[in-house]
Amino acid sequence: MNRIFKPESFLKGVWQENPIFFLMLGLCPLLAVSSSLRDAIGMGAAFIFVLTGSNMTVSFIRKLVPEHVRIPVFIIVIATFVTVTDYSLAAFSPQLHKSLGVYLPLMVVNCILLGRAEAFASKNNVINSAFDGLGMGIGFTLAISIIAIIRETLGQGTLMGINVLGKDYVPFLIMIMPPGAFLVIGFLMALKNNIGGKKKC
Amino acid sequence: MKRKDIVTGILVLLLIASISGFLLAQTFRVAKPRIEKQMKIEEEKLNREIFPEGNDFRADNFKGIKCTSVYDGQDAFIGRIFNLTAPGYGGNILVKAGIDSESRITGIRILEHKETPGLGSRITEASFLDQFRNRDSSTLFLKKDSPRGNIDAITGATISSRAVTDSVRKLQEQINDTDGETP
Repeated sequence: MNRIFKPESFLKGVWQENPIFFLMLGLCPLLAVSSSLRDAIGMGAAFIFVLTGSNMTVSFIRKLVPEHVRIPVFIIVIATFVTVTDYSLAAFSPQLHKSLGVYLPLMVVNCILLGRAEAFASKNNVINSAFDGLGMGIGFTLAISIIAIIRETLGQGTLMGINVLGKDYVPFLIMIMPPGAFLVIGFLMALKNNIGGKKKC
Repeated sequence: MKRKDIVTGILVLLLIASISGFLLAQTFRVAKPRIEKQMKIEEEKLNREIFPEGNDFRADNFKGIKCTSVYDGQDAFIGRIFNLTAPGYGGNILVKAGIDSESRITGIRILEHKETPGLGSRITEASFLDQFRNRDSSTLFLKKDSPRGNIDAITGATISSRAVTDSVRKLQEQINDTDGETP
């Protein structure tokens, strides 16, 4: 418990406690951005950055914050982090800012950020919290990328905007609509539970 | 809850909010001029994409409609760029369209839209937008709407495609109507 860095704080987010397939958090941005691989990767990159940053900040101030005001404090930290990132990207990397579009400001209301602040960062040291954020962020990115690959290929016959299934492929349109996302998540969750051990309740 | 806890809570919240406000204000102060500069560059680039022959772009007015007048290298007037709004599937679509002095489309771009990702959002792709180049209003219909039509709708996004096509055609018709009159 007193070790400064525990590798499991990084690894559990990627697989065992994957935010999408295990914690089942962040499903709303998932519906919006997992219809194309390009959007999924952009969202994932921004997400890894903001989650790592907000986790570190929350962990850094955790001893200062009384328990009954912790939620508003976490929200202020997350909102500040997201907004600073948003301004900085707009000023210094407009290309990336443009491709992330609305997903960056939307991260303020992302429940994975608040969830990790509450469940992990407020109880662990800065280094572990950083790796928790990194792991959860990578887990989220992997999950939405896999879903996006399936949805984009079946729903549009393309991958990263490039045609992969040939001209004669008739797109399976429901896959890029919200119901398609639920179908894919359901199947993948079943698959993960099957190979990764049953979910303990 | 004790009185002391309430006071500490308020103080901590106040402190965190002040730090956050200070950080945001500083970031904004540093970022704002750069963001404005980037937006200007972006606008200039967009104008050149819509009107490749244009050299100088000046804010102007056409019959009370705000527009950008386009001049070529010899400072001769060659057309105008308009911003227009099309009622799409998920809300208004903001379109920027360039029209030359013979009232043909030089190019269009989508500035903002709220169409379905993966379906309607494909109105921003070059394969759709390039169909408008050099068309005049008589052929600006979706192929499925009119035998004269020349625009292929995006699969699964007829409403979005039609909204863009119709709004550009109406703009052209409006300009043709008023062109004959003396200003």
